Amino acid sequence: MNITTYLKGFFNGLWSLLVGMKTTLRIFFRKKTTECYPENRGTLKMFDRFRGELTLIHNENNEHKCIACGICELNCPNHTIRVVSEKITDADGKTTRVLQRYEYDLGSCMFCELCTRTCPHGALAFTPTFENAVYTRSKLVLKLNREGSKLANKK
Amino acid sequence: MIALKEKITSLVPAAAFDEAAIPTVTVAASEYKQLAQQLRNDADLQFNYLLCMTGMDFGDSLGVVILLESTTHLHQIYVKTVTADRENPYIPSVSDIWDTARINEREVFDFFGIRFTGHPDMRRLFLRNDWVGYPLRKDYDAGEALNPVPTENEDIRDTTLTYEALPDGAIAARERTVFESEEYVVNVGPQHPATHGVLHFRVSLEGETVKKVDVNCGYIHRGIEKLCEKLTYPQTLGYTDRLDYLGSHQNRHALCMCIEEALGLEIPDRVKYIRTIMDELQRLSSHLLFWSCLCMDLGALTAFFYGFRDREKVLNMMEETTGGRLIQNYNVIGGVSADIHPNLVSRIKEFLTYLPPMLKEYRDVFTGNVIAQQRMKGIGVLDTATAISYGVTGPSGRASGWACDTRKRKPYAAYDKVEFKEAVRTEGDSFARYLVRIDEIEQSLHILEQLVDNIPEGDYAVKTKPVIKLPEGCFFKSVEASRGEFGVYIESRGDKNPYRMKFRSPCLPLVDVVDMLSRDGKIADLIAIGGTLDYVVPDIDR
Amino acid sequence: MFDFSVVTKWVDDLLNGILSPTWATFIEFVLIGVCILTAYAVIALALIYIERKVCAFFQCRLGPNRVGPFGLLQSVADMFKMLIKEIIDIKHNDKFLFNLAPYVVIAASVLAFGCIPFGKGLHILDFNIGIFFLIAVSSIGVVGILLAGWSSNNKYSLIGAMRSGAQMISYELSIGLSILTIVIFAGSMQLSTIVESQANGWFLFRGHIPALIAFLVYLVAGTAETNRGPFDLPEADSELTAGYHTEYSGMHFGFFYLAEYLNLFIVAAVASTLFLGGWMPLHIPGWDGFNQIMDYIPSPLWFLGKTAVMIFIMMWFKWTFPRLRIDQLLRLEWKYLLPINLINLVLMVIIVVFKIHF
Repeated sequence: MNITTYLKGFFNGLWSLLVGMKTTLRIFFRKKTTECYPENRGTLKMFDRFRGELTLIHNENNEHKCIACGICELNCPNHTIRVVSEKITDADGKTTRVLQRYEYDLGSCMFCELCTRTCPHGALAFTPTFENAVYTRSKLVLKLNREGSKLANKK
Repeated sequence: MIALKEKITSLVPAAAFDEAAIPTVTVAASEYKQLAQQLRNDADLQFNYLLCMTGMDFGDSLGVVILLESTTHLHQIYVKTVTADRENPYIPSVSDIWDTARINEREVFDFFGIRFTGHPDMRRLFLRNDWVGYPLRKDYDAGEALNPVPTENEDIRDTTLTYEALPDGAIAARERTVFESEEYVVNVGPQHPATHGVLHFRVSLEGETVKKVDVNCGYIHRGIEKLCEKLTYPQTLGYTDRLDYLGSHQNRHALCMCIEEALGLEIPDRVKYIRTIMDELQRLSSHLLFWSCLCMDLGALTAFFYGFRDREKVLNMMEETTGGRLIQNYNVIGGVSADIHPNLVSRIKEFLTYLPPMLKEYRDVFTGNVIAQQRMKGIGVLDTATAISYGVTGPSGRASGWACDTRKRKPYAAYDKVEFKEAVRTEGDSFARYLVRIDEIEQSLHILEQLVDNIPEGDYAVKTKPVIKLPEGCFFKSVEASRGEFGVYIESRGDKNPYRMKFRSPCLPLVDVVDMLSRDGKIADLIAIGGTLDYVVPDIDR
Repeated sequence: MFDFSVVTKWVDDLLNGILSPTWATFIEFVLIGVCILTAYAVIALALIYIERKVCAFFQCRLGPNRVGPFGLLQSVADMFKMLIKEIIDIKHNDKFLFNLAPYVVIAASVLAFGCIPFGKGLHILDFNIGIFFLIAVSSIGVVGILLAGWSSNNKYSLIGAMRSGAQMISYELSIGLSILTIVIFAGSMQLSTIVESQANGWFLFRGHIPALIAFLVYLVAGTAETNRGPFDLPEADSELTAGYHTEYSGMHFGFFYLAEYLNLFIVAAVASTLFLGGWMPLHIPGWDGFNQIMDYIPSPLWFLGKTAVMIFIMMWFKWTFPRLRIDQLLRLEWKYLLPINLINLVLMVIIVVFKIHF
């Protein structure tokens, strides 16, 4: 190693360090990118397509569109969904299946959307909620049909 | 094709030749090694790249299917060999022909119990040493009685077996030591900041110098290939996102293309464009993360945040359209799950002007920095032939002078419609691997620039049958994921679920090569090599 | 300019007036001990807070902002957390050395801390070989680090400790030589004399080229002495998880943590004392009005201000550069810093002999 390459290497190295320091100092005075989370709750909105949790869509009359066919349950890779139904025979002697409980385990859901995509009636949707933390696992098992809800009449 | 057939039948007359898009040669186990050697060495064939090795349980027999490719002639071939003995299956090892076979054969041994004669290291790769049975065999009993949930730590053995075929046909097992008792062995991992996940290196040290590295995988093995055999094709899609979580979109792209090709589905141009755009966004996010993590590994913590700051913007773009940040869940069989978000195009355009000045900052802070350069230049040199032999694809392979970009070699989606430079460097050291990725960030921006204004009108998905059944046969499709060639191999028996689904993980060769690259380097070099190879552990373990 | 020796003299007279000389001295010792330890803890906590804020600002973040206004109480809260944490007793270690090591480290830094002139008359240990004493006691710290690494019976810790040994002993040379350069210029090893003789201009300006070179070398070597990035090899979180203090928990870990920040302060304080005039205000010969205004600013403020600038520069180093490798680290010392230093020393001698300085 001759003396010129030694010195050249030394000063080039020193220069590269100074360039780096100049850059970080510039960023030091730049606006920060941090979002203050719980404070900005009011304005924080997730993207519409964000998959927070599965919901059974209810309209204003507390009606849903689920006919308890169980296709979602069949398609779910993780057995996250359990559809409990009962057969009801009406006055005309026609037997229909009626949804009793729509159980959904948020803890084992992998958000593959196969349920919402395969539902023949569009009864399911993912909502962009995100504060889903709870203290016990059992609280993650949700009942999606609301109390007293019933099947919406087809128009 | 004809020439290939003639050539091979002349070499091994007993081989059965099956013509398809990728021809298949079936040979007996006894002739397998000889054929492999000739395929590798013959000047007209030169199958120097072992793309994918799949263990198979054919029901009555066990076997191996290897997919070979020639980097000079660009032809591909399947070589299939079987052994009828299910109790003590032996197949000759090809690990001395292709280096990557070494770790792949360990995987096959782990899953199928096929012992490879002549293989230097027949240990399990993913499962525990005390695991009973071979899970991917069709007659495997998954009951808990056989393999109860372990309550004790796994004992890591310092010895391994190697099986040798004696001239009289008998098999002799010989014990080999991995680490001598007087070696100073340090565990790097499974919980270690620089392994980027639960990967376990056992490193033999002499002072600061690394003497040997033994990779211990499987801490995050989820048996995805086994799971897929029980699932319908649409259900398998969800698992690909969880292999290489930084290339989820690309992985899923490969599986979707493989299924679509098997079904003969015609994919609209719009879908191809959207997929290409999302692939490139994914690559951007992955490479930005690579940059950040490498900086952190080398001690430049501030640079780490700069990379994450910019990656956030890419993730936001993807999230708006796909609804996911890491698990994209966007590709479906026949298209994509929803049309692109109206904001996507403007957001990409904004990003195209935002990132280049940031890249300049990256250069100032890290690339040009004398310390960073000294930490990477000349460290972990991988030459071209070794890279091919180990199957090191992706940016790491290209840094070794191997133009292995699947987007160029086997164009898919809209890659044949865009113009971009394949970033290839010849140095093969860590710095080259680093620079290739920085170049690829620029190229990705360039690709996006060309695509973003030209997305054709049309459907975002074609309609598929409610129950998807693949025709009988085997199908392979690969894409250029962020870390290398990600391939999907499906063996179908005409059912609604795959008979065997194998994912060619780009990270397995990467972690395999660590030992060779880091020998006689310093501990800090091991970290730099690991950082620039940029493996993702769930992709290794699957 | 207010002379703090008035206060100390008054306390001394008061105690001697009401007590026998032995007791008075004893009480003075206790008082000084309490003061020094309080200052030690407060400065360390402040530095931890400052470091976290500075590092956050370099990294496009806000840093601690939840505990107290602007997160000011964050490090106090952290201290309480550290104090109430269990000290985990690990198996298979050398118990005595393991428990001794943090105290060795902290004792070394407290001793060095005592040598620093904080202001006019605010000086605890001041004698004719003050700077020599300071170098000597601060290098005891490496013993503690080696003990910690050895006694932990952990491979990472041992590697970290060995690195630390190699690094500290090498860089001690550069520190010593760059300080020696200034000692030649000042003609004294007594810290108070060094500060006083900078009344007509700081050494950095008066000694021009050799002083500037010595200053830069001192900065680099000082950063290495404190085991801070880019020289944080003994800890090297991405290689050795935490190096020599991997196995420590609770307040024992806290001692290493405090000592690290205090060493940063000491190195910065020595730099400001030797090169930037310590507590001496900025005086420009001839500008009497300006000098008088400068004198109105209390001397401890001058000292702390200069030290803060030095600390910021060292934090700036840490949060910009990647980490060196052990061989590169030693190469930097032996092939670059040491030769530069030796030549610089000769240069300084020439300058002093021929009086070509301001």
